[in-house]
Amino acid sequence: MHVLKFSRKSLGIPYAVFLVLFVALPLLVLLYYAFTNGQGHFTVANLTGFFTDPNTLGTLCYSLAVAFVTTLVCLLLAYPAAYILATSHLKRKQVLILLFIMPMWINFSLRITALKELLTVFEGNLARFPFTNAVVGMTYDFLPFMILPIYNTLSRLDGSLIEAAKDLGANDVSAFLKITLPLSVPGIVSGVSMVFLPAMTNYVVLDMLYNSTYIMGSLIGSYFSAYNWHGGSMIALILLAIIILFTLLTRGMEDDNQNAVGGALL
Amino acid sequence: MSKSRLKHKVPGNGRKTGILLLTAVLGLSGMTGSVSASSEQTEEPSTSTPSGKKVVLRICNWEEYIDLGEWEESDTIDLESGDIFGENSMIDDFEEWYRDTYGINVKVEYSTFGTNEDLYNMLTLGDVYDLVCPSEYMFMKLMAEKQLVPLSDSFKDSSNPYNYYTNGVSPYIRGVFEDHEINGEKWSDYAAGYMWGVTGIVYNPDALTHEEASTWKVLGDPKYDRQVTIKDNVRDSYFAAVGALKSDLLLSTDFISQPDYKKRLEEEMNDVSPETILSVQDYLQDVKDNVYSFETDSGKADMITGKVLANYQWSGDAVYTIDQAEEDDYYLNFAIPEESTNIYFDGWVMLRSGIEGDPDKQHAAEAFINFCSRPDNAIRNMYYIGYTSVIGGGDDSRIFEYVDWTYGAEEDEEDVVDYPLGYFFSGDSKDENYILSVPEEQLIRQLGAQYPSEEAISRSSIMVFFDSEKNDTINQMWINVRCFNILDVPIWAWVITALAVAALLFVYWKMRQRTKIYLGTQS
Repeated sequence: MHVLKFSRKSLGIPYAVFLVLFVALPLLVLLYYAFTNGQGHFTVANLTGFFTDPNTLGTLCYSLAVAFVTTLVCLLLAYPAAYILATSHLKRKQVLILLFIMPMWINFSLRITALKELLTVFEGNLARFPFTNAVVGMTYDFLPFMILPIYNTLSRLDGSLIEAAKDLGANDVSAFLKITLPLSVPGIVSGVSMVFLPAMTNYVVLDMLYNSTYIMGSLIGSYFSAYNWHGGSMIALILLAIIILFTLLTRGMEDDNQNAVGGALL
Repeated sequence: MSKSRLKHKVPGNGRKTGILLLTAVLGLSGMTGSVSASSEQTEEPSTSTPSGKKVVLRICNWEEYIDLGEWEESDTIDLESGDIFGENSMIDDFEEWYRDTYGINVKVEYSTFGTNEDLYNMLTLGDVYDLVCPSEYMFMKLMAEKQLVPLSDSFKDSSNPYNYYTNGVSPYIRGVFEDHEINGEKWSDYAAGYMWGVTGIVYNPDALTHEEASTWKVLGDPKYDRQVTIKDNVRDSYFAAVGALKSDLLLSTDFISQPDYKKRLEEEMNDVSPETILSVQDYLQDVKDNVYSFETDSGKADMITGKVLANYQWSGDAVYTIDQAEEDDYYLNFAIPEESTNIYFDGWVMLRSGIEGDPDKQHAAEAFINFCSRPDNAIRNMYYIGYTSVIGGGDDSRIFEYVDWTYGAEEDEEDVVDYPLGYFFSGDSKDENYILSVPEEQLIRQLGAQYPSEEAISRSSIMVFFDSEKNDTINQMWINVRCFNILDVPIWAWVITALAVAALLFVYWKMRQRTKIYLGTQS
């Protein structure tokens, strides 16, 4: 009988092809456009241009502000929810979790349109509160991404640690502050990275809620529709750099904490 | 009152929009995700005939910009000269007509684009089409870049009865396409018109008078704080801003009465001197804080639901908005600004990269233009999409009959006025054969938008294609308007930011400290 040779390596081929075609190559194209000008010559003008123009810098700041406030609001809303879900002994806990996840199953633009009508009821004229609208819209959109990782971390938390802390005389508050909170940092970090970065670029929310100020995503779009692929690519690259920087910072934290968990358990 | 129109379908009105059918079906307000990807239209494969010869024609048009058929019985346009009904899509009908007329099988591959810029980017990325339908400034750009194939002499031969375009195009449109040129080449050498229109203001007559709405200044007027919308693209906004800034000049009698008024008007409206760009930027920055939204599609819904009082609109979409509002017994009007209105033309052009010198292909492409220009087909398209065809009909009176069928006054109606459209249909503005008798209110409603009066046309200006240097400056101006300027950040915001960053760093540092302690105890 002829036996198909199936080594582990050959199983990986489709993924390797995928990575090259859809990750590595586009990145190279992006790099090429970011560092060339219209004539195809090498230039760093796109980079220096971004950091010397008060408008693009302002857009970066505005995006950061929207993303920061959104993340903060998400965190403040999500942590208590995740904590209650993880620690309570509710009979229908799964249903509750489902309720938080369910909005994600409904088309995004439909939800934002509904939100638009709701906000109109509350605010009267939507256009008077552009920043608030952006934050509310993004929070609504991204909240599940914050709840889930925190919930996962908290529900895997070893309850005996808290019991031990209480045995050693800690009250509820200090047990939470000294045990639960630090141990849930990995969840918070992954939640933050899943909210903060999309919030910097998701301009559809702003468009639909009539915030006419550009954020990073819309800026890239406007460069491309003005046929300036070079400027647009550079902004995409700068965003990528910010994301890598953020990941490096938090990755260190996450890993250390994983170690800390291990260390504490030992 | 206009007769029932567009009730069978969500017209969407493709000019520069990404349509979600849900918008109108669910009555929800503007919910396009500003997605403007091209979508492939699936066609049934045509059966091959023994002749064997088969031409593939790749067409790219605006979204929702052609009759796709499947009309309901009640949509039948019952003109005196016969009924007009859209049973199949225009594309299928063309394939059939071409086979019957020329004995050649043609297969149309039909795709769509969302904006002129999208189309251009698609072409740059290597998409190949034979026939596309961009707006005038974009086909001017394509002309300047030598990307187009000129229309053949046989296409312009008026003795051929199948040359519906040449025989039927409105004398007014023909004149525009003859009079405008780029690098010494006339538009008409390369482009055949499809739809045209003007820009103006749809407004709520309870809140604004017609005079108040008839100026571009309405967009920046603090009286309508956050209750007007402007278009989310640089060209339309630029035109409106120039109109508002130069309002005094444009309305002065000296300016209007000069002999070369039309030429001077076009110069003023296409003024891209650095000073003008700068003042437009300042003006639009103020407008940005005064408008409800910069919109491409959502303005129609916001107007119908009463969220805004006035809405910068293209005439075809204005007709649609007024129609839709009317169904809810909500009456909206249309005003064409006194300063000037931007007249635009979407035209068919053939691409060098697609045709590649193939005479069969070119023949099929030109036949498609002619087929769309056949008066009954022009009416079908107009009825379906709401825009105005460039076809007047020539000797064929059906287009004028259709306009009369749509807008003409009922016999017992009061307040009826004459509305001369000779300028469009015969080239003679006093032509008695082309005077409509319409309800007076229609002058500032759908009719006034779909077929603007000659007086409105006299103060219209096209917006030309700017060379790439000017274009870059204008685009940069637009980005500056829309961006948040870092110099506008007040001191207190910087202080708060600094504090927040410091707090974050402190927390980060604490975390690491704690980690070290854990690790320390471990070892």
